Amino acid sequence: MPPGIRGRDRYHGPAMPGRLHIAIFVLACLAGVAFASVSTFDFAQHLDRQVHDLHCSFIPGQRTAAVDGEAVGCQVTLMSPYSSVLRTRIWGGLPISLPGMAVFAFLVFRGFDLLGRRGLARRRAAGWLFAFSFVPLLTSAVMGGIALLELDAVCKVCIGIYGASLVAVLAAGLAYASCRRVIDEPEADSAPARLAGNGVWALVGLAQLGAFVGVPSLGYMGLMPDYSRYVGTCGKLADTDDAGGVMVALDQNAGGAPAVEVFDPLCPACRAFDRRLAASGLAARLHRRAVLFPLDDTCNWMVEGAVHPGACTISEAILCADGGKLGPTSTAVIDWAFEAQENLRTAAKTDATAPRRLVSERFPELAACIGSAEVQQRLNKSLRWAVSHSIPVLTPQLYVGGVKLCPEDTDLGLEYSLTGLLERRGTP
Amino acid sequence: MNSLALRVVLGIACASAPMVMAGGWVRGAGKRLEKIEAGEAVADDADEGEVAIATAADEGYCSGDLRKILRRVLQSCGLMGSGEVRGCQPVQAKSVATMTGEDFNALFLPLSQRAGIIQFDKDSAELDAADSTLLDKLFADQRGASYFFVVARSSPEGSAEHNRELSQKRADAVMGRLRSVFNDPDLDREVGMLWLGEEYAQLDQDFCSWSRSGAADKCKPKDINRSAFVAWIDCRL
Repeated sequence: MPPGIRGRDRYHGPAMPGRLHIAIFVLACLAGVAFASVSTFDFAQHLDRQVHDLHCSFIPGQRTAAVDGEAVGCQVTLMSPYSSVLRTRIWGGLPISLPGMAVFAFLVFRGFDLLGRRGLARRRAAGWLFAFSFVPLLTSAVMGGIALLELDAVCKVCIGIYGASLVAVLAAGLAYASCRRVIDEPEADSAPARLAGNGVWALVGLAQLGAFVGVPSLGYMGLMPDYSRYVGTCGKLADTDDAGGVMVALDQNAGGAPAVEVFDPLCPACRAFDRRLAASGLAARLHRRAVLFPLDDTCNWMVEGAVHPGACTISEAILCADGGKLGPTSTAVIDWAFEAQENLRTAAKTDATAPRRLVSERFPELAACIGSAEVQQRLNKSLRWAVSHSIPVLTPQLYVGGVKLCPEDTDLGLEYSLTGLLERRGTP
Repeated sequence: MNSLALRVVLGIACASAPMVMAGGWVRGAGKRLEKIEAGEAVADDADEGEVAIATAADEGYCSGDLRKILRRVLQSCGLMGSGEVRGCQPVQAKSVATMTGEDFNALFLPLSQRAGIIQFDKDSAELDAADSTLLDKLFADQRGASYFFVVARSSPEGSAEHNRELSQKRADAVMGRLRSVFNDPDLDREVGMLWLGEEYAQLDQDFCSWSRSGAADKCKPKDINRSAFVAWIDCRL
C-alpha cells in the first residue's frame, strides 16, 4: 500500500461500493483471459510448422475445422503479420495475444485486489483499475480496425477479446464512479501531495503490469525451439535461368535478391502469401519473377480436375500483359485476379468461358491475345519449366537465389525464414 | 494469512498463469517438431497428403511397345543419350519398329485426338497454308507431352529410293516449319522423325476421319500416304 493514504478518507455510503461492478469486471477479464488463451494456444500450436485447426467460436475452446467458412476470418487474422511482433527475430514472432492474456490476468489480479480494499485506497485503486482497463480496450480498437480495414476479416475469438475489453472498461468505470460517489478525497491534501500519491500508485501499477507482461513474453521467447536450422533446407532449383522466357516480372527491384515465385492467380493461398509478403516489407528486398502454375486441368496435366477453375485463362491473361505492350501490366492483371478470385472461380464452375469473358471485360486490350496459340504455348512452357525443375505440384512456392523457402515457412514463419535466406545471401 | 501476503500469492498466481500455459504450449510444439524431424508420426488434426512432383504426362495408351518404339526412334535421332547436337539419321523403319506395319500403325490409334496428317501434293515436300495451319495448331497444343513424332510417308508411285528421300524431305519440311515458327529451345529434344517412304506401315482409309490438311475428298490411299503423320506423345520414358 502506498504511504500516506490509510486512515485519511471519509465514508458516507456502503462499506464496499462498486462490489457488483468489480465482480462483473473480474468476470469480463477472466473471459478476456480465456479468449486470449485460446488465441495464444492456436498460435503456439503452429510452432511445430504444421497446419492445425483453429478455435474460432464465441465459446472459448470450441474447435472449428480450418476449412470451414467461419474459420477463415480467424485463419486470416492469425496468419497476418499483425498477429505477432518481432517476426524477423523469432519464428512466428511473439503473439500479441500472449501479452493480451497477461494484461487480462493483471486486471483480474487488480480486480480481486480492489475487492479487498477499503476507503480512499479503494477509490484510488478503482481509479487506476479504470485507467488500466483502457489498455486492452485501446489495443482491441487498434486490432479491430486493422482486422476490418486491412485484413477484411472477422475473427470470433478476437471479437470475444474486444467484447471482454469493452465490458471490463464499462464495469471498471462504474466501479470507480461508485467509489467516487461515496468516498471523498481528503480536502486537506494539497495538489502536489495528491499528485505524488497518484504517481506512486501509477508506478506500482505499471511495474506490476510490466512484470505480468514481461515474464511470460521472455519465457515464451526463451523456450522457442531453434528454427534457424531449417532455413534453406527445403531444396533448391538447378538453375534460375529463364531460357524459355516463361517468367513474368513482378516488380522493378533490379537490385533485390533474385527470387522466383511459382503461383496460381486463382489460388487463395497465393493471394494470402502475396499479401503477407507485401505486409512484411521484405518484398522490397527481392526481385521477384513469377512462374505461372495454374492448378487447372484445362492446361495443366499434373492435376486431376480443376482445383482452381479458370486459372489457365487468367494465367494466359497475365502472360499477355507481360511487358505492358498491350496496355495493362501483368501486375495489374494479377492484382485484379486476386481481388476477383472467388467470383472468377465460381463463374468458371458453371461456365468455362466465363473467366475469359470477365477478364476481357476488365482488360479489353488483352481479349485477342487470350486463347491464342502463342500465349498457350508460353503457358505450356511455364508448366514444363516446373517439370524440368522437378518442383512440387504446389502453390505458392518461393525460391530466393534458387533456394526454396520451406512451405512450412510461408505463413507464420515467413518473415523469420525469408530474412534468414536473405541474410545468408548477404542481401541488405 | 494477512492481506498483503494474500495479495502477493494472488499476484503470483495470476502472473504465472500465462507463463505456465504458454510455456507448456511452446514446449509441446517443440517436442512435436523434434518428432517430425525424427520421422515419427505426430497426431495432427490436419490431413496433409504427399505432394506430387511436377512430371510430364504419361497417358494410359503408353504401352510397352509404344515406349519401345519411342525409345528407339529417340535414340536413333540422337534425342536421348549423349545429349550432343541432334542429327536424325535415315533409319530402317522396320528394324526400328520390329513389328508389322499394321501393328505399328495400331500403336498410334489412341492418339486420334492428339495427332494430325499433313498431306502433301504429289512428289512435293512443300507445306501449303492448310498444312502449316494444322501443323502449328497441333504443335502449339503440347500440354504435358514430352515428344512430338513426325512419321513421313509417300505414295507408291516412283522408285522406293526416291520415295524414301521424298518422305525424308517431308519430315524435314515439318521440322523446318517448327523451327522457324516456334522459338522452342527444347525443339531438338522433343521432335522425333521417321521417314517410311512407301515401304512400311502405309496408312489405310480409317485415318481419313482424323485431322487432315487435305481436302475432304482427297483421301484415297495414295493421297493419305503423301503425308507426314504428326502427334504429340504423352508418354514418359
